[in-house]
Amino acid sequence: MRMDFDAPKPEIKVVHGKNITYQKVVDEVLHGIEEEGVPFSIEELEETNPVELAFRGAELSHLGVGIGITENEVVLHYIKLKEDHPIFKIPSFSDEATLRAIGSNAARLVKRMPFKNLDNTELS
Amino acid sequence: MIIAGIDIGNASTETALARYVDGKPEFLCSGIVDTTGMKGTRQNIHGVFASLKQALEKAGLTVENVDLIRINEAAPVIGDVAMETITETIITESTMIGHNPSTPGGLGIGVGVTVDIREVSNCDKGESVIVVIPREVDFEDSSRIINHAVNNGIFINGAIVQRDDGVLINNRLVKKIPIVDEVSLIEKVPRNMRAAIEVAAPGSVVEQLSNPYGIATVFDLTSDETKQVVPVSRALIGNRSAVVIKTPAGDVKERKIPAGQIIIQGSNKKAQVNVDDGAEKIMDAIRSVAPVEDIKGEAGTNAGGMLEKVRQVMSNLTDQLPSAIKIQDLLAVDTFVPQTVKGGVAEEFSMENAVGIAAMVKADKLQMNMIAHELEAELGVKVEVGGVEADMAIRGALTTPGSNRPLAIIDMGAGSTDAAIINRAGEIKSIHLAGAGNMVTLLIASELGYDNMALAEDIKKYPLAKVESLFHIRHEDGTVQFFDKPLDPRTFARVVILTPNGMMPMPGNYSLERIRAVRREAKTKVFVVNAIRSLERVSPTGNVRDIEFVTLVGGSALDFEIPQLVTDALSKYSIVSGRANIRGVEGPRNAVATGLVLAYEEGE
Repeated sequence: MRMDFDAPKPEIKVVHGKNITYQKVVDEVLHGIEEEGVPFSIEELEETNPVELAFRGAELSHLGVGIGITENEVVLHYIKLKEDHPIFKIPSFSDEATLRAIGSNAARLVKRMPFKNLDNTELS
Repeated sequence: MIIAGIDIGNASTETALARYVDGKPEFLCSGIVDTTGMKGTRQNIHGVFASLKQALEKAGLTVENVDLIRINEAAPVIGDVAMETITETIITESTMIGHNPSTPGGLGIGVGVTVDIREVSNCDKGESVIVVIPREVDFEDSSRIINHAVNNGIFINGAIVQRDDGVLINNRLVKKIPIVDEVSLIEKVPRNMRAAIEVAAPGSVVEQLSNPYGIATVFDLTSDETKQVVPVSRALIGNRSAVVIKTPAGDVKERKIPAGQIIIQGSNKKAQVNVDDGAEKIMDAIRSVAPVEDIKGEAGTNAGGMLEKVRQVMSNLTDQLPSAIKIQDLLAVDTFVPQTVKGGVAEEFSMENAVGIAAMVKADKLQMNMIAHELEAELGVKVEVGGVEADMAIRGALTTPGSNRPLAIIDMGAGSTDAAIINRAGEIKSIHLAGAGNMVTLLIASELGYDNMALAEDIKKYPLAKVESLFHIRHEDGTVQFFDKPLDPRTFARVVILTPNGMMPMPGNYSLERIRAVRREAKTKVFVVNAIRSLERVSPTGNVRDIEFVTLVGGSALDFEIPQLVTDALSKYSIVSGRANIRGVEGPRNAVATGLVLAYEEGE
C-alpha cells in the first residue's frame, strides 16, 4: 500500500463573496493570520451569509478553521462546531486592531494558544 | 433536653445540635456559616444566629425547643499576615529590553545605532543602524522604508517595534533582520546609542546577550565593564528575544533594601535578627528564645512598620492600646515576588526575594461573656460559655472512629494553627501558632504576582486543568475529560481553576506545572512546617517522635491536598496521622461544637 503524499496543504480558509468592495477588511484579517505565522488561502463564493461562508471555509480547510467575510460581518468558524454556532463574530466596520485580532485568533485556534480579546464583541 | 454547641472560629461558625436522653447525647444536626466580623467581637452574633437557625431547620425544630446553648471560650488568638520585599532591581538609564513577545520576527543578532525609522533617510551610507518603529508607523511603511534604506547602502541590522508587527515586517523585507516587537514603552528607548538585538529560533532562547562575555564581545567592553553587565545578562536568560542598549551611564543594580531588625523578647532571653537574613534565621531566633513574650520591629524600618501594622489592626479589633498587644508567635517564610524592574522598557519582571510573615496576637481576653449575655437576651435561651477551645476540639476529635487517648490534634484554620494533646489520664496541653490558610493565600498571590486575593484563594482551594481544545480539558494528573458542548472560548488553551461554579481562566502566562508547584510549596511551607513546630511544643518530651496518633481538624483540613502533605511529612516521624471524621459523619469540621455538647454530659 502506498501512502498518499498529496494531502492538501494545512491552511486556514478565508472565504468572501465575489466582486468585493471591502478588500481592506480582508487584508487586515489576513495580516492577523500572517503575524501568527500560519498558512492561509482565499476562496471566493457566491454566498451572502457570513456564518455560512465561514463554515464552508472550515469544511474546505484542512485545519478545519474558516473565516467568512461579508460587507457586514467577519465570522470565525471551526469544523467541529455546530454550523449555526461559530466561535467569534464581529462587525466588518470594527477597527483595524479587532479585525487583525480575529485573524490572529483563527491562527491561535490552530496553534492552541489563548485567544486575543475581541473587545466589545459578543462571545458565542 | 436539646443542647446546641456553637463554635465561633476565625472563618466559620459551626453548630452541633443534640438531644440528651437519659444523660446520653444523640446528635441531630449540624450547621455552618461564615463567621461575621472578627472572631471574639460583637459582630459574631449574626453568624451564631444563622448557624443555629440552619441546624434547627434541618432538624425541624425552632429556637423555643432549645434548652441550652454552649459557646466556646474562644482562644484569644488572632492572626494577620504581611509581606516585605527585600531586594529590588533598578536600571539607571534604560539599557535592556528582555521580554517574550509571542511572535518576534526574523532571526539572529544585529548591532547598530538606534535611529527612529522616520529619520533613517538622514543616515550616512555604510552606517549600521537599528531602527525604532513607534505605533504611528505601520508595517507596510516600515518595511518599505527599510528596504529602501538597504538599497541606499545603509546597513539596517535590526528593529525594535511597538506594535505586534514583527512577523509582518519581516515577511516584507528583502534582507532579513532580527525584530523585537510589542515593546510597550518604546519612547523610553534611547536614540543614537549603540544597541544589540537578538532573536532566537522558535523553541530556543537568546545565547549571545544572556552571556556577559557575549555582551562584551558585541560592545567591546573591558573586564570592569563586563562585570557591570552581569545583571543585564542574568535578566535576559530564558528569553526568546532581547535588546541591550549601551548608554554612557547605563547600569543595572540589584539592591538590597534594608528591611530592618526584628527583636524577639522571650521570658528570659532576647534575640535580634535581620529580616534580610531570611526566614530560616528568623525562625531559629524564635526557637532559641521560646517561650516568646513579644516581638517588635526596629522603629523606622520596613520590619518595624510591618509588625506595628499588625499591632494596630489588633488593637482596633480588641479595643486595647497598641502597647498592650503582644505578638506571641511569628511564622516567617522565604518567598519570591515578581516585581517590575524599575527603569525597564517593556515591563520586564525580575523575581525579588521577599519574606512573608504571619503574626499571632494574644489579646487580653475576648469578649465571649458579653456575646453570651447578648445572645441570651435575644433568644430567651440559656447561654453558657463552655470550656477551653483546645479541650473541646480534642473531645470532638475523639469521636473519630478508630481514635483513642493518647491523641494529638492539629487544628488547621484560617488564622492560626493550633495543636493539643491529651494523654491517657486525660490531661490536655495546647498551643497556638501563627500562620495558616490566610498565609497560604498570601504566598500564592505574591509569588504569582496577583493583587487579587479572591483569585489566590481559589487557586488554593481548587485543582487546576488545562483546556486543550474547545471540547476537552486535561486535569493536573494527566487525565482527560471531554464535554458535549464547546467550552467558553475565553478558556481556550488556558490554565483554568475548576471551581464549583465552573471553569475560571487564569490571567497571565503561567504554566499549569508552575502554578501547581507554587500552590503546593506554599501549603508545605505553612502547614507542614507548622504541624511539626506545634507538635514539638506539645509533645511531653519535646520530641515529635514521641507522639503516636494525630488527627487533623479545622477548615484547612478539608483542603484537597493539605492533609496528604501533612500526613506524608509526619509519617517520616512514624506518626499515624490523618483527617479526623467527627462523629463518623462530619469530616474534620465541627470538632469544637461537638466537644461543647459532649462536655455538658461530663458536667464541665
